[in-house]
Amino acid sequence: MNSIVVTDLSKRFRIPHQKKSTVFQNVIGLISRQMDYEEFWVLKDINFEIKSGETLGLIGRNGSGKSTLLKVLARVMYPDSGAIDIKGKVASFLELGVGFQPELSAAENVYIYASIMGMSRKQTAKIYDSIFDFADLKRFENMKLKNFSSGMYLRLAFSTAIQAEADVLLIDEVLAVADEAFQAKCIAKINDYKKLGKTVIFVSHTLDWVKALCTRTMLLEASRIISIGESEKVIKQYLDLLA
Amino acid sequence: MNELWKYRELIWNLTQVNLKVRYQNTSLGFLWSILSPLLLALVLFFVFRYMYHQEVNFAAYLLVGLMSWRFFSVSTTSAVYSVVGKASLVTKVYIPREILVLSNSLANLISSLLEFIIIIPLLFIVTGHLPLTIFLFPVVFLVYFWFAYGVSLCLGAFFVYYRDVNQIWEVLVNMLFFLSPVVYPMVSISDKVMPFYLLNPLTAFIVIFRDLMIYGAMPSAYNIIVAVFFTVAAFFFGRFIFQRLQRRFAEEI
Repeated sequence: MNSIVVTDLSKRFRIPHQKKSTVFQNVIGLISRQMDYEEFWVLKDINFEIKSGETLGLIGRNGSGKSTLLKVLARVMYPDSGAIDIKGKVASFLELGVGFQPELSAAENVYIYASIMGMSRKQTAKIYDSIFDFADLKRFENMKLKNFSSGMYLRLAFSTAIQAEADVLLIDEVLAVADEAFQAKCIAKINDYKKLGKTVIFVSHTLDWVKALCTRTMLLEASRIISIGESEKVIKQYLDLLA
Repeated sequence: MNELWKYRELIWNLTQVNLKVRYQNTSLGFLWSILSPLLLALVLFFVFRYMYHQEVNFAAYLLVGLMSWRFFSVSTTSAVYSVVGKASLVTKVYIPREILVLSNSLANLISSLLEFIIIIPLLFIVTGHLPLTIFLFPVVFLVYFWFAYGVSLCLGAFFVYYRDVNQIWEVLVNMLFFLSPVVYPMVSISDKVMPFYLLNPLTAFIVIFRDLMIYGAMPSAYNIIVAVFFTVAAFFFGRFIFQRLQRRFAEEI
């Protein structure tokens, strides 16, 4: 059964010649009637399918469209054409700790963040202890978030997000800043999810992780898919591209 | 609407965050919310008390006028920043974006209701009685809330694209303040201008609030029509604009 089906997806960005961000500048622009932006396709004719329970790696150079694809799948951006069909609930890890409030305590923030990820208060209460255990931050639950180090912040955010119930996980290069011990823990956790039959799309520049986690990998270059298939092969192709 | 109901816990959480953040690290907390309009009312009372002596109970007139005005001006001016100020909730995760404006408006609704609860005993002290019609106040205030919410949706969405909406709105709010009977009695408006003056939805709401809280009178049909018409118009227009503009929020913010 397919979990994600993407057909003929395209997305274009507008690049303004001169950024007009005020009403005044726009009024002037209307009068002088210049074409004020260029169009640029960030994603062009993207087609792929992911089976339920599959982990797909997504690699490519900077600016190839990886993050935009993830954003479109996460419904943060609207595609200009094409269709996306995703079965089940999506949890997106485009950035960790979205909506964290530095002035509030870690405990309060966990509840807020979990509700942003679509969890109810009841569900969060159930996993509350395991969030703090996984992050290894039990002692600090009443500390204000502004006093957290960036590592602690990341651990808390990842633990909360990863335990939010979802069928599909979209993970963008979010582990890069964590220390190795925590990274290993996270990779193990993602592996567990694989076993539970959840679908994962994993974006990373750390090719070893991609190799370890993903059965199939997709390579994006200049807004298009150049290849999709067995991870080993696609990674090799990517390395050739870079060389 | 269905989708908003699914996110009700998030709406409530963000409303609480808005309230907590507003009063955190201030020594007087919520007191500021009530203190600043009261002090303003006090000054205005002493300055205009002789000029506007024809108003039977000028102190009560001022209190209700200022409090009603304050809800609209504070909730709409803060709504301008409600989307841009929470950029990461737009660009990094999917939630219905209307929630950002709604939670800001709800936070203002709550603090405004608390302010009104505090001025009710004050009204009793200055007028010596409280009319029964005061029980209709919550109903009208709820309508007033939807009006302000509709306006807020437009402002929050426009500000993503045009970053001088805050300046423009500040000017407009100042003009509206003098175009509405917040401080002065309505007898000072000439008969010629009156028909236009009465088309201002804020005038309608403020007059209705005074009817209910001070004079014990039922609001006039005309004022009800103006208030309801503008509320429905603002709400549907606001939602329409917001739905259209939110598609490119993540790119423009």
